[in-house]
Amino acid sequence: MASIGHIVARTPSGEVLSRAQQRAMLVPDCLVEARRIANTVITGWHGRRKRGIGENFWQFRPYSNGESLSRIDWRRSAKDDHTYVRDREWEAAHTIWLWADLSPSMMYKSTLGAVSKESRALVLMLALAEILARSGERIGCPGVMEPVSARNAAERLATAIMHSPLSEGLPDTGMVRGASDLVLIGDFLDPADTIMERLGPLARRGLRGHVVEIADPAEEVFPYAGRTEFTDPETGEKLTAGRAEILREDYQRAYRARRESLGTSLRHLGWTFIPHRTDRAASEALVAVHMYLSGMPGRVTHGGVS
Amino acid sequence: MIGSLSFIFANPAILAALIALPVIWWLLRMTPPRPAAEIFPPLRILASVMKREETPSKSPWWLTLLRMLMAAAVIFAIADPVFNPRSNTLATSGPLALLIDNSWATAPDWERRVETASALIDDAESRDVAISVVFTGERQHDATPGSASAARNRLAAARPEPLPADRASAIAALQTAFEDAPPATLAFITDGIASGDGKTMERLAAMGASNLKVIEADGSEAVALTATSNESGGMAVTASRLKTDDGRSLPIVAFDTRGRAIASGTIDFAPGAATARGTIEAPFELRNDFARIGIEGAATAGAQHLLDDGFRRRRVALLSGEARDLSQPLLSPLYYINRALAPYADLIEPRQNDLAVAIPELLEQRPSVLIMADIGRLPEETYPLLAKWIENGGTLIRFAGPRLAAAPADDPLVPVTLRQGERALGGALSWSEPQPLADYPGNSPFAGMARPTDILVKRQVLAEPTADLAERTWANLADGTPLVTTAVRGTGRIVLFHVSAEATWSNLPISGHFVEMLRRSVQLSRGGGIASDGKAVKAQTLPPYRLLNADGVLIAETGNVRPLEIVPGKPPVATADNPPGLYGSEDGFTALNLLPRDAELKRIDMTAAGPHTSERLTGVESWSLKPALMTIALLLLLADALIVLFMGGVFSRARIARAASAIIVVLAGAFVLAPPHAFADDARPDDQRILERLDTTHLAYVVTGEEDVDRLSESGLRGLTDFLTYRTTLEPGAPVGLDITKDELSLYPIIYWPISATAPMPSPQAVSRVDAYMRAGGTVLFDTRDQFSSLGSSSNGTSQNTERLQAILGNLDIPPLEPVPADHVLTKAFYLLTNFPGRYTGSPLWIEAQLDNGEETSNRPARPGDGVTPIMITGNDLAGAWAVDSNGVALLPTVPPDEMQREYAFRSGVNIMMYMLTGNYKADQVHVPALLERLGQ
Repeated sequence: MASIGHIVARTPSGEVLSRAQQRAMLVPDCLVEARRIANTVITGWHGRRKRGIGENFWQFRPYSNGESLSRIDWRRSAKDDHTYVRDREWEAAHTIWLWADLSPSMMYKSTLGAVSKESRALVLMLALAEILARSGERIGCPGVMEPVSARNAAERLATAIMHSPLSEGLPDTGMVRGASDLVLIGDFLDPADTIMERLGPLARRGLRGHVVEIADPAEEVFPYAGRTEFTDPETGEKLTAGRAEILREDYQRAYRARRESLGTSLRHLGWTFIPHRTDRAASEALVAVHMYLSGMPGRVTHGGVS
Repeated sequence: MIGSLSFIFANPAILAALIALPVIWWLLRMTPPRPAAEIFPPLRILASVMKREETPSKSPWWLTLLRMLMAAAVIFAIADPVFNPRSNTLATSGPLALLIDNSWATAPDWERRVETASALIDDAESRDVAISVVFTGERQHDATPGSASAARNRLAAARPEPLPADRASAIAALQTAFEDAPPATLAFITDGIASGDGKTMERLAAMGASNLKVIEADGSEAVALTATSNESGGMAVTASRLKTDDGRSLPIVAFDTRGRAIASGTIDFAPGAATARGTIEAPFELRNDFARIGIEGAATAGAQHLLDDGFRRRRVALLSGEARDLSQPLLSPLYYINRALAPYADLIEPRQNDLAVAIPELLEQRPSVLIMADIGRLPEETYPLLAKWIENGGTLIRFAGPRLAAAPADDPLVPVTLRQGERALGGALSWSEPQPLADYPGNSPFAGMARPTDILVKRQVLAEPTADLAERTWANLADGTPLVTTAVRGTGRIVLFHVSAEATWSNLPISGHFVEMLRRSVQLSRGGGIASDGKAVKAQTLPPYRLLNADGVLIAETGNVRPLEIVPGKPPVATADNPPGLYGSEDGFTALNLLPRDAELKRIDMTAAGPHTSERLTGVESWSLKPALMTIALLLLLADALIVLFMGGVFSRARIARAASAIIVVLAGAFVLAPPHAFADDARPDDQRILERLDTTHLAYVVTGEEDVDRLSESGLRGLTDFLTYRTTLEPGAPVGLDITKDELSLYPIIYWPISATAPMPSPQAVSRVDAYMRAGGTVLFDTRDQFSSLGSSSNGTSQNTERLQAILGNLDIPPLEPVPADHVLTKAFYLLTNFPGRYTGSPLWIEAQLDNGEETSNRPARPGDGVTPIMITGNDLAGAWAVDSNGVALLPTVPPDEMQREYAFRSGVNIMMYMLTGNYKADQVHVPALLERLGQ
């Protein structure tokens, strides 16, 4: 019997880019609603719903002693006896870091899935880059590309990845400065504790994270039966099950428990968690990430199970 | 050869298959099959799920070793290793003499014996010597040396015989044949059992053969049943065996006449014991069906024991004229009979005291023997029944006693005409001495028993002398008067012991002779047995009916067997003319067993044989390892299957728990759904009334049917009840009128029966019920009320009431009567009284006569006595004196009109009631001072 899952070759970034652009066309423009003040104050195209430097009117407020006299809005103050100050809405462009896990375990595609996990992760990453760039956000990739604000950010990201392949495991976040959004795409098969150990400091630094878990259907439903020898693509470890079918229930329970605990831990950090399966349309996950990024934490379909 | 262990393979070529073992090893290592390889990224999650160590890709080394052992065991088993194969040659030249036992004990291993003999013949043929073959079980012996083929033919024709070996004549034939020149080799293939005079080996040694071989088996098959005896608990079987060194347990089975196994038991031989006893426990009815007892699995004639009618236990019914007083069993006549017969017979007793019911009930159970102890008179309707039963073969054994002595002489159920009354021997007024027994006459079944010297008869009933009295006497006293007489009626028999069955008349019942006499008398019953007729002296011949063959099977073919001659006193012996089996016909046969009773199997005496070689039968020592190896391989296979199942997780805890819970659920369901217990309603109508009557004592009277008599009885008893309540601690309930034809009588201590000649005569059934009541310990007070009306009323001086009483009593079995003696307990029970007046005075109160012990009454204030009189008769009209109306005023005047007489009448009533309720307690009371004195108070 032909085996159910196999390792696929690394997806060429160029092809990924074209597919990502196709995906990106499906998603409407979005305005990422920034909820936090970045240290790097760079005016952007959308307000922060806060008082600050910007071009749009925000509010009039009474003048208080010590303020610069130049800030008094005299036209308004002339209407009555009080002196008013015109506040403007703070407008800033948001920095969003995108990262995809390209470890060997991602190079996996089973007969049940449409594409490999790695392929789906790259597509999602570049599609997000396209959408966000279009809406004027700054796009970066930790360890690979400094944040840039450009229309062709997706192309530049793809080029950067082509030249310096993404590292395995979790990203090197040394480049990430200040509060920004972080989108992590991967299979997250490490134990939840290990993952949280890495992600916890990031959250404490004020990063807002969105985790997309890519899973192959074979990993979720465990369609194996009979005597089977399982190999871990990362460590090469082997495990033989005499009758794989009797393990199915226990395995599925453990697999879901891991996903549940990971999701719960992330939510405790204020992060979002989106499970996604490669036999579903990539746009499902894309929409979900997009909605989270735009601050609409409604119930959405993730293209995942939970 | 014995002792040297040789070891060969029957099929050594098969051993070449052992080189296949490495291949098998390689094949075994291959398993289990290669797994399907799968890449699986979430391996760590999977690993956390797989707690158990997974089946390794290779089976463990010990499992492989187990399977290798299994394969090796099969290969070795097919190669068939054999210990001790035969390699035997005849080492001398000269004629060969073969003496072969074909007795009963050779039947199981006869094939091997033939094999051994033919091997010897083969050897002799190769040496070209003449061969002489003699079988010990045959009638004619031909010991002439002949050719090997002739010897083989004779060997093939010989069969084991169901008889002991008769070696003397066979050896004699050999001696004649080899008179001139002794045989070079004398081989004796024996069963190992000594027979005849035990000089077999001596004779063989005397023949002077240069080589004497004794060939025998180990004798473990030689087990014989030698005796059976029918005991109370079951059939005891005795067995004897030849090989005594080990303990052995043999199952024994009893078969009925059709060969069906109907009961079983075991005989356990202790190590070293040659004989052992076992018991087949079975109910009496089943034991009567035993026709043959055999050792299971032993196919020899000796292991079968045939039974005939003589073995069957008799069923004996017991009847007594007296109420069974359980507190004083030594005074009950049935006690001694019971003790004497219980080991030999099955005893049945009536459940009712009413003889009219009890006798048919007993006869329905088909007893062989009916024993009646001291019954003088039976209910009228039972006589024809009993007579018919005796005609049909029943045996009636009667014992004398006071009642029989008082019975009229025309009793049809006694063997001789009896004189009325008994004869006392010894005592104050007699010159005669108590008599011992004389020698038993020759025609008696007791003949052969030693004359008892310690038995003394003090009292007996006497037979009228007739011409044939001597013929019908089984035992005499020393003075010639018969003690046991008998008479044959049809096919049955009546036996009369002229003494009582308890120790008052003689000490016969407490001697061992009583047991033997009774046993022999009972054994005579049921004339099915051949020797059962006590007078049969001449020999009897019986044709063969079924014969045992050597394999212990009963066959109908009789061949040239002669009829069996039965000579009394000389048990028949199984011979070639009369092999063991059943002789007679289907209706009655006698069994002839192979071994005489209590014979023992003894090993043949080898000491006299001189120089000889001992050998075993061919094949005795050859011992194949094949079955053992096959068994080992099978066990290994089972173990392997269990291990594989275990490793596959079949016996996981979850599955067992699931199965257990399913079983529990099913059981609980069955329990819940089980129907509730149901109880039968055994309440009867009238129970409530009986319980009420039992709560308090009631005085009772017989309703005669005449209104004025009944009313007077009722008011009289009411008056006595009031008097008792007033004067004594006894407070009876209201008087009860009884219909003796149907009311339960046993609830009342005394029944007052006013006799009225004009009332209807009670039916025989009613009288029989009263008889049963009296027998069970009740008392009836008959009152004829005619003390002053008897004058001139009838021609012979008795009144009509008295005549009626006589008519009633004619059907009752009553003891001898006497007026109340002055020292009787009745005169002292509550008041001191000298007479018992009623309305009239002067009529004596008649009660049961007590056995007069004569000498010791002088200094005692009251006569000792056991029991309470079952009957009282007066003519004083007691109820008339007691009768009061509702105001307590006397209804009738006394005659003469004397109020003191009425008072005495009441006192008589009180004394009678006290006597009824306390029995002889008052009589014993007078001894209290003497007893206290004896105790040292």
